[in-house]
Amino acid sequence: MAENIIELDNIDVTFQQKKRKIEAVKDVSLHVEKGDIYGVVGYSGAGKSTLVRVVNLLQKPSAGRVKVNGDVFYENLNGKETVIDSKKLREKRRKIGMIFQRFNLLNEQTAVENVEFALKHSNLKEKEITEKALKLLELVGLSERAKSYPAQLSGGEQQRVAIARALANDPEILISDEATSALDPKNTIQILDLLKDLNARLGVTIILITHEMDAVKRVANRVAVMEQGQIIEKGTLHEIFTQPKQQLTKEFVGGSLEAIATLKTYHLAKLQENEKIMQLIFTGATISEPITIKLYRDFNVEANIIYSNIEVLGATPVGTLFVIIKGIEKDRQAAIAFLKEKGIVVHQIGEEELSND
Amino acid sequence: MIEFFAKYFPNVVYQGWTGDGGWLPAIGETIYMTFWSALFGGILGLIFGIGLVLTDSNGILSNRTAFNFFDKIVSFFRAIPFIILLAFIAPVTQKIVGTQIGTTAALVPLSLGVFPFYARQVQVALESVDRGIVEAAQSLGATYTDIIFEVYLKESRSELVRVTTVTLISLIGLTAMAGAIGAGGLGNMAIAYGYNRFATDTTMVATLLVLIFVLLVQVTGDFLARILNHRKK
Repeated sequence: MAENIIELDNIDVTFQQKKRKIEAVKDVSLHVEKGDIYGVVGYSGAGKSTLVRVVNLLQKPSAGRVKVNGDVFYENLNGKETVIDSKKLREKRRKIGMIFQRFNLLNEQTAVENVEFALKHSNLKEKEITEKALKLLELVGLSERAKSYPAQLSGGEQQRVAIARALANDPEILISDEATSALDPKNTIQILDLLKDLNARLGVTIILITHEMDAVKRVANRVAVMEQGQIIEKGTLHEIFTQPKQQLTKEFVGGSLEAIATLKTYHLAKLQENEKIMQLIFTGATISEPITIKLYRDFNVEANIIYSNIEVLGATPVGTLFVIIKGIEKDRQAAIAFLKEKGIVVHQIGEEELSND
Repeated sequence: MIEFFAKYFPNVVYQGWTGDGGWLPAIGETIYMTFWSALFGGILGLIFGIGLVLTDSNGILSNRTAFNFFDKIVSFFRAIPFIILLAFIAPVTQKIVGTQIGTTAALVPLSLGVFPFYARQVQVALESVDRGIVEAAQSLGATYTDIIFEVYLKESRSELVRVTTVTLISLIGLTAMAGAIGAGGLGNMAIAYGYNRFATDTTMVATLLVLIFVLLVQVTGDFLARILNHRKK
């Protein structure tokens, strides 16, 4: 097991607004392993941004423990608060890059100056700083726009400058706070692929906050789902996608909910005796097997496909199939056992879930 | 030309270029007062403006006591009408300059009169800087000095030039009142030599000169604000 680079334990964040206490984050624990791309999803207001701001103490928590790369930034487990010294925190922050929804570039400085700003406190000489800044712009594919001001760049280009700036001090962690939410679909994909590439090439650990499940599906390997200041579900991307437990998670991953919504628009004939609706989820290798034929031949079970869909998680294709299977109870059970043995996830869908009224 | 002036602007010509009550000393005094009080008042105003933004409840050095200190002082001096401030501050002027009257003595009330106005303007200008940019700088490990100079001041520089222009123009207005404590200048020329002596032509020319002065400041300010702005319009 790889080591944890970020450990958030029992984090509470409470805001005092006039007389009202607002609990933005409630008792959240999140461990991120080195090299992970950890997606944190949830609707706006769920507390995602507040939670990740705790990592570099842009947001000071009210309780819990923040440990990054072995250093305890904050600890308050039994009422005694210890916070890292501010000079040390500034040095540590340089090792945690952060990119934002609205880019937050310095508008009165050019692209290359923006990157140089991040290197101001490095030990490099002025000339080396410029060289490194230009190299970083090249890394994000923007060397030609080095002398441009942010206002002259497109959204996607501005986010690239922001990424170059965030990477300036060779951070081990990169926090992306809704970094693609203000971009069009094409730029979103390019930025996500760039993040994935940086993760692979530089080994930088990434926390990806987003309300778009597609972004997470594309790049993350682990996912946490947040609602009302709490993490309601977490796991590998594959687990979250194929076996979502919470209603909200199901909404986010789409998949079965989408399928059910689609199926609802059809008037399915009433199921016969010995008929059941099943949802089958295939991953990777199993996807190419002729399952329906096998079911019929080996188990005497008919499978009638009523909906199918393939999505790509990370690099693995995942297929979802809704079938009506017909056969006697004993045969159906044997068929399901066979499917499970093959590594196919099988859910039985109640008829009422698909009824239109 | 001279005959034309002598005919239609007899009092203007009578004042002469140099000497007591001359035009050149009057222009010089106005420039002198504007420049130095803009410098002292400007520095004070900048410090208070920056202080207000940093110590505000969502500022990077949020501190209620310090904020109240800056806020109350600025509000207090802003509340005093300038003509009263001139008299009110006289003992302090005596301590600092050694005299209560004259052009140099006027610098004290002028600086104190203009700084709270400027501080509020600077506060508004700095608050126009997106909080997200400040946060980004913090996430990069920027120091407070970096954030003040490279983020707040540099990002709002065009806005700062704009508010400085407005402040300078209102300062020129204040220097006209400084004539009340014998500070001279074009304002004094217009009142003491023009209005009080029924020399309407002197008042007109003095006004015209102030107008040109204001116009120069405005045009320069607008130009600088434009070339220093790289933000989206």
